[in-house]
Amino acid sequence: MSNFGFPFSLEHLWQVCGGQVLLVVAGLVLIIADMLLMDRDKQSRCGIISWITIASLAAILLHLVFRQWDSPTVVLSGVFSADRFSIFVSAIVLLSALLASLLSIGYLKNNRAANSEFYILLVFAVYGTVAFIQSVDLLMMFITLEIMSIAVYALAAFLKECRQSQEAALKYFFLGSFGSAFFLFGMALLYGFSGSVNISVIARSISANGLFTQAPVLIALCMILVGLFFKMAMVPFHMWTPDVYEGSPSVVTGFMATAVKAAAFGVFIKVLFVTFTPLLSQGGNSANSITANLVALGAYWKPVLWWTALLTMFIGNLLAVSQKNLKRMLAYSSIAHAGYMALGILAANAEGRAGVLFYLVAYTLMTLGAFGVLYIIDGVERRAQTLDDYKGIGFKYPGLAFLMSLFLVAMAGLPPTAGFVAKFYVFAAAIKEGYMLLAALGIITSVFGLYYYLRVIWMMYMETVERDVVPADMGAPALVAIVIAAVGVMYFGVLPESLSDMAQVAQQGLAAIF
Amino acid sequence: MATLNYYIVLASILFGLGAVGFLTRRNALILFMSVELMLNSVNMILVAFSNFRAEMAGQVMVLFIFAVAAAEVAVGLAILIVLFRHVKSVNVNKFNVLKW
Repeated sequence: MSNFGFPFSLEHLWQVCGGQVLLVVAGLVLIIADMLLMDRDKQSRCGIISWITIASLAAILLHLVFRQWDSPTVVLSGVFSADRFSIFVSAIVLLSALLASLLSIGYLKNNRAANSEFYILLVFAVYGTVAFIQSVDLLMMFITLEIMSIAVYALAAFLKECRQSQEAALKYFFLGSFGSAFFLFGMALLYGFSGSVNISVIARSISANGLFTQAPVLIALCMILVGLFFKMAMVPFHMWTPDVYEGSPSVVTGFMATAVKAAAFGVFIKVLFVTFTPLLSQGGNSANSITANLVALGAYWKPVLWWTALLTMFIGNLLAVSQKNLKRMLAYSSIAHAGYMALGILAANAEGRAGVLFYLVAYTLMTLGAFGVLYIIDGVERRAQTLDDYKGIGFKYPGLAFLMSLFLVAMAGLPPTAGFVAKFYVFAAAIKEGYMLLAALGIITSVFGLYYYLRVIWMMYMETVERDVVPADMGAPALVAIVIAAVGVMYFGVLPESLSDMAQVAQQGLAAIF
Repeated sequence: MATLNYYIVLASILFGLGAVGFLTRRNALILFMSVELMLNSVNMILVAFSNFRAEMAGQVMVLFIFAVAAAEVAVGLAILIVLFRHVKSVNVNKFNVLKW
């Protein structure tokens, strides 16, 4: 018996929110553990907390992939949905957080910032991100978006002594809250005109009332897109990205560039294809008229996304060419990757959505790997972030340089890496829907990409400069993380089927939300 | 008799003022206020809709938004204070270590 109008039991809660509940519990356990360890010195406390974090993130990742994946549950009082799509994106976020926390152990030590708060903030940021992805209610999306963002603002500002870190955090904070205000305004309009904030109820309501192509709904759509574009770092809402990625601590940048972006893309796909262009593969006759009505909306958002994708690919790649600082270059490259993923969304077919999911996995692995190598070299060489600092790195650290080359080659989209397969999927999906011109322009931009990625490799192997720096300790956990990323990039490049099948299944989960 | 449209228009104007203020003013504290103005214009729309539709959901949302905005500003001001110790200014043009 239930008064809520939905079957409510602890078991049901566990099925739907298992990952979220575990994350909150992990966060609370970390806080308590931190207090219990008060009498130890900071260094060892941070060490213990970091290993608890890594263990719990790994356990939750396994829970999502092996338990929740097999029993997707749709809705808990219309707020959260643990469908396969959400689980897939949540798993990407957890993977990113896991690699970032492995990387962070050495990073915090090298920067004399070994405070256990880092991991507590990280776990709550992951909670916010996962809940953001799993929510199907615009208000809950806003709240969880803020839970995620506030924790990430604090993480970005984590190096208190470092002015860059503070500046990056403040810029991220301002632009982030500016963006979420737009999201909120869109949400309020949709609530007003449909009487609900649930994304599928909104879809039915605006379709049934014939509002689907009227100004208020279009303004709302526009506002929500702007809000999400800020988080996805799409041109012209990308201005904050290079500054924030450069200034933030490298591990936080890695997390921001992958987990936050994956979440924003996941929610973007969800809102777009549930509320504004539902893909009702199952849903009966009543659903067909809704689809027909809402497909008309496609005429409005598709041109917008066409231009945004084009600008994002061009500006990301072009500005990356002129960068001297590697972190900044990777920031522009991550903008460019957002453009390629937008191409897959624009295609609006099953291949495109599955392609974007595959791309997100590949992107997460190669970006975190590259930021990982970057920070290790930065640490062992005592500040080496510019292109010139990379001269001769290939001879000094052959292993690291090899892995860096692998990640860069993957980002450039060359076979046999996951980066190539991912680009292939999204371009194929776009071409299938007739976006020939955009795909061609996209391929041209990736030629620029080739130039600036390969330039780094050239610097590492073809130039020699003697820098007499005593190498610092690089730390085993970070190496483990980088090797995991490298193995993933190679494995999904050579044998992409397992992952792309999963992505295909995951994108079908979207229809379950409606 | 003020109808729903008046509230929507007024809230949109406030939102626009907030956005313009955010983009043109250079004092970090004013930027905070601008963002708050944008959030509060949304609150206004929600209350107006809630009243118009004769249901409470919109007003409940306002409370959530208040809470979130307060949490956000708490973190934002903390970051600003730490940055102020480095820069000795709240002018965002002075926050220029990072640029291309």
